[in-house]
Amino acid sequence: MRRNFLVVFSLGGLLIVVAEVANAQGSFYQGKTITVIAGTEPGGTLDMRIKSLTHFIRKYIPGEPTIVTEYMPGAGGRKAANYIYRVARPDGLTIASPVGGFLMLAVLKEPGVEYDISKFIYLGAPDGVAHYVFHSRKEAGLSSVEKLRAAKGVRIGAQAVGHTIYVVGRLFAYIFALKEPKFVTGYSGPEIDLALQRGEVDARPNLADTLLRRTPEFVEKGLMDFHSILEAPLGKKHPHFSYLPEISTFARSERTKGVLEMFRASRTIGGPYILPPGTPKDRADILKEAVRKTFNDPAYQSEYKKLVGDDLAPVTGQEIETAIKALKPDVEVIEIYKKIVGAGPLPAP
Amino acid sequence: MEISLFDAAAKGFLNLLHLKVLLAMLLGVSIGTFTAVAPQGLGMPLVYAIALPIVIKWEPITGIALLIGASSVSAICAAYLPILFGIPGGSGSQATVLDGYPMGKRGEGRRALGASFMAGGMGCLIGTVTLALAIPATRPLIYLMGSPELFVVMLWGLSMVAVLAGRRPIKGLIAAAFGLLLATVGQQAQSGIMRFVFDQPYLLDGISISIIALALFGIPSALDLALTKLGVEQQPVPLKGSLFDGVKDTLREWWLVVRCSFVGVWVGIVPGLGSQVVDWLAYGHAAQSCKGASQSFGRGDVRGVIAPESANDAKDGGDLVTTLLLGFPQGVVTALFIVALLAWGYLPGPEMVKKNVDVIYSVVWLQGIAGITGTLIGFFLAAQLAKLAEVRYTFMVPIMFIFILMGAFSVNRDPTDLLVVVAFGILGYFMRRFAYPRPAMILGLVLGDLMEKYLYRSVASYGFSWLTRPAVVVLLILASTSFVFTLRGRLRAKQKASSSPLSGALAGAQDES
Repeated sequence: MRRNFLVVFSLGGLLIVVAEVANAQGSFYQGKTITVIAGTEPGGTLDMRIKSLTHFIRKYIPGEPTIVTEYMPGAGGRKAANYIYRVARPDGLTIASPVGGFLMLAVLKEPGVEYDISKFIYLGAPDGVAHYVFHSRKEAGLSSVEKLRAAKGVRIGAQAVGHTIYVVGRLFAYIFALKEPKFVTGYSGPEIDLALQRGEVDARPNLADTLLRRTPEFVEKGLMDFHSILEAPLGKKHPHFSYLPEISTFARSERTKGVLEMFRASRTIGGPYILPPGTPKDRADILKEAVRKTFNDPAYQSEYKKLVGDDLAPVTGQEIETAIKALKPDVEVIEIYKKIVGAGPLPAP
Repeated sequence: MEISLFDAAAKGFLNLLHLKVLLAMLLGVSIGTFTAVAPQGLGMPLVYAIALPIVIKWEPITGIALLIGASSVSAICAAYLPILFGIPGGSGSQATVLDGYPMGKRGEGRRALGASFMAGGMGCLIGTVTLALAIPATRPLIYLMGSPELFVVMLWGLSMVAVLAGRRPIKGLIAAAFGLLLATVGQQAQSGIMRFVFDQPYLLDGISISIIALALFGIPSALDLALTKLGVEQQPVPLKGSLFDGVKDTLREWWLVVRCSFVGVWVGIVPGLGSQVVDWLAYGHAAQSCKGASQSFGRGDVRGVIAPESANDAKDGGDLVTTLLLGFPQGVVTALFIVALLAWGYLPGPEMVKKNVDVIYSVVWLQGIAGITGTLIGFFLAAQLAKLAEVRYTFMVPIMFIFILMGAFSVNRDPTDLLVVVAFGILGYFMRRFAYPRPAMILGLVLGDLMEKYLYRSVASYGFSWLTRPAVVVLLILASTSFVFTLRGRLRAKQKASSSPLSGALAGAQDES
């Protein structure tokens, strides 16, 4: 009788402790404010991604905290990443969403990086799928990859050295083995489309969905020749451009493939939401679970599509952490990749 | 097009005749006015970013009414800061400080405000009418203006240093060269090379032009008040002029308003120019073309207020031409407007012209009606805002510093900007004291980045054959002619001034520029 009482008493005590712990976690966020640091100006695509998330995630965090966005644009996401790594308190009340490129900047050991990407806590990312299509204007007469290869000095338009579209353009040129391609930078995305139509540049890569949304006449009126597609992740076909050959089919060596896979891996991670190193595990777990539930919410998926224009392609925090651990390319690949990201001549494929 | 333009315009107007649409427009106008009057703390991109998730759940025309209502008036009411406190407004309203503040100090703040609101309202209407008429004619203009043509236009703009330097050409050149040099700070987009970054992440993207302009003009103005120990309108001059004097000035200078509005529309339509240059180009045009400008501009000439304000407000119409008819956003605000249109199921560009031309006309009507409403609100507010100029310096100076620091912080939300604004403020104070023209430095800074970009793109795409493009040749001839005439005019004015008995007074007059 006495033993039974002890068992019941112990179980009861355990239940109370568990309930208290759960309550403590739940109540931590009650009445608190979570700040989401956006590594961008108000109104960019990244801001729209954050806006759609913050609108829904609140209800999945016990205690339903207030969520505010703070903008910290600059240095390709380095400013926001440096801030979250060095300055923000690891109390579970600060989340950051730097521009996705901040990961590769660290891998390439670019100046201005003061953070270690292996130490961040990753909550997940909404944009783990991307399709880049390489196309040239019809009047240039470059209707096939063979003609692109035979032409000298093909002018490829892009935003700026280091911008994702620039890097993708350089990757296509490198893997196609184009002869002395010229990279004309300093445009905004829509300006490159205008420059293509004016004949100021000959070719460009663009995200397939952006192309179909912004310049559908390129496809409908046959104004462009489409050459190849870069899929991230590999094998994830784009419904409209599934007929195009994947860029890896043009890669001639293992080294070239290694460079391509390095880009693909970084792009598959997308633009993650991160917490400062040292954030208590219980709070990080609450936020990870809240992000996961938000990503599965059909209402959020619809809002995301409306605000961002793309379909949601979620990546979990666990998947990101695994991908980052695997993101350790050999020195030779990094050196080639640096040349591709930079402004000098392309390396030999 | 499936319906005639007249029917589409009528249908576009009928779309607005619902109470909720009109209320949404008024709400937008109120938000836009508040944004303009707030001390740079809110920008229209932030307003759009906050409003977007809400309005995309509304009916399209109601949501469009709110967004257009807010953006179309945001520039109209932005002139009170430069006129009353000598603090540049947001980008697009910076040049207003050159003549607006001297007018305020001369006791003519109300007249300057009246002129700026009237010019802004007229500019908005001209931009709107252009948007309405541009539907069939925009595309060829945009295709005509490639990188080489834009470079020559920027070169033309730089020739305005000759105007902005006033009577000190060498100091003007030094200031402009320093501005050009500052524009090179940061990672160069074309080569990826870090220039003058010194391993500081803060400098990777260069220093914001808004912060430098705020510092160069705002801090010396605040110090000025602190040192003279007088409020803006407590300077030892009689108060003169009313809002309606400014209205009369604007109506009298209607041809200047039309010309500068077209400068604004053109800057809006051509992708890549942006709002940072619109006021300077218009101001430079006025300074080159207005009679007697060499003596009066920079010293409180109302035409120096009318020109930038009309251009800045007309630009919104030009922005919408490119956004709606071609589907190319001209900046963050129009990019967000496109996001909203896509969420409602419209595809901006040729398809929208073909299938939803009535919605485009609804935007046109909203732009015009909101512009008129914003102007009326501006007049109503002006009477209240002008009273700020009568506040004692002991209250005013701290408020001005708060405005300046808040404005600087709001640009990037970076505390380092506060140090930078103080440093450039001190520079501005000494530039003013030793008569180095600050507008010339701002012009160099604004145009430096654009010129480098366009020149690089021209050479990368065409080699040196870009110099032989017909439009480039025509623009070069126009730019050279204008430069030679301006220089000749100024030399003649200088000779006249030196032989006139007023020359001593003019030479001694403080150069507000």
